Amino acid sequence: MPNVRIPTPLRKYTQGREEVTIDGETVGSVLDGLEQSYPGIKERICDEAGKVRRFVNVFVGEDDIRFLDNLATAVKASDEISIVPAIAGG
Amino acid sequence: MAGGRFLVLGAGGLGCPALLGLVGAGARHIAIVDCDDVDATNLHRQVLYDLGDVGAPKVEAAARRLRALDPRLQVEPIPLRLDERTLSSLLAAQPADTVVLECSDQPDLKFLVHDLCGEHHLDLVIGGVQRWGGQAMAVRHGAGACFRCVFEAAPPAELAPSCAAVGVLGAAAGALGFMMAHLAVALDAAQDVAGTLVALDLRELRPQQIRPARRAGCPGCDPHAPAPVRGPLGPACATAAGAACSR
Repeated sequence: MPNVRIPTPLRKYTQGREEVTIDGETVGSVLDGLEQSYPGIKERICDEAGKVRRFVNVFVGEDDIRFLDNLATAVKASDEISIVPAIAGG
Repeated sequence: MAGGRFLVLGAGGLGCPALLGLVGAGARHIAIVDCDDVDATNLHRQVLYDLGDVGAPKVEAAARRLRALDPRLQVEPIPLRLDERTLSSLLAAQPADTVVLECSDQPDLKFLVHDLCGEHHLDLVIGGVQRWGGQAMAVRHGAGACFRCVFEAAPPAELAPSCAAVGVLGAAAGALGFMMAHLAVALDAAQDVAGTLVALDLRELRPQQIRPARRAGCPGCDPHAPAPVRGPLGPACATAAGAACSR
C-alpha cells in the first residue's frame, strides 16, 4: 500500500503518526481512504469542491501531482505520497 | 561570500538563528527589521536574546549581539511595522545584490514579501516553522520555481493553527533558521539552489528536498499571468488574534 507522509499540522488527526499506509490506486482514492481512517483530515487538504487547497501541495515521490493528473494520478504500492502545506510560523 | 549583503525580516524564532548563521558565514552588511520587543516567553527559540534584553526592541538587542560577535559587521537595525507600503519602500532602497530572508510569522506577509521581491528583482529565502518542523525555500525570480509555484496562496487564518496554540520547538526554529542562512549565502554565491524547498521535521530526523518545476500560469513568476491578488495582511501566527507585526 502507498505510504503517506503526514505533515506536522495534520498529525492531530493521525494520533501523532508521521506516516501511514493507505490502500488506493490514485492519489484521490488514497485521500478518501485517509479520511475513512482519520476523519476530518481530508477537509484540511481539499476544499469543498474536492480540489487540493491552494496552500497545500501533494507529491508522489518527487513529482507534484499538479503536473501529473492531479487527484487522478495513479499510485503504486511502493509510492510515497507527501502532503506539504505552507507553514506559517516564524 | 560574494556581495555579503542581507535583509532579514523578522528577528524571532527563525530570524535569530538565521542572523547567527549569516554572521558566521562572513556577511558584511545585515539589515534587521522587526517592530517587537524581546519577550521572556520566546527566549527558548530566540537565541540572540537573554533575560537582560527583555523589553528592549528586538532589532536593537540583535544588533548589539551581532556587533559583539563581529565588530567589522555593518548592522542596520530597522524598527518597522511591515505592510505593503513600508515593505515596498524598504525593498526599493536595497542594493541589487541584497538577499532577503523572510523570517516573519505572518502567512500573508510571506507571500507579500515574495511578490514584492519579484517586482524589485531581489533574491530571497522564505521560511516557516511550527511545532517540530517547517520548511525553507530559495527563490530567484526567473530561475526555477517560485514560492507561488509551490503554494498558490497563504492559508486562511481559520485553517492555520497559531504558533501560540501549537508551539514551536526551539531546535526546529534553530535548524530551519540556519538552513535559511545557508540557502541565502548560496544564493549570494550564485550556487544552484534557486527553486529548492527543504522541509524538515525533527521527529522524523529526515529532511525532504523538493525542486518543483515552474508552474505555467503562476502569478508569481509567469509574466503572462495576471498579478497575484493581495488583500490586507492577516494576523501574525504567533498570536491568536495577532497584531500585524513580524516577530
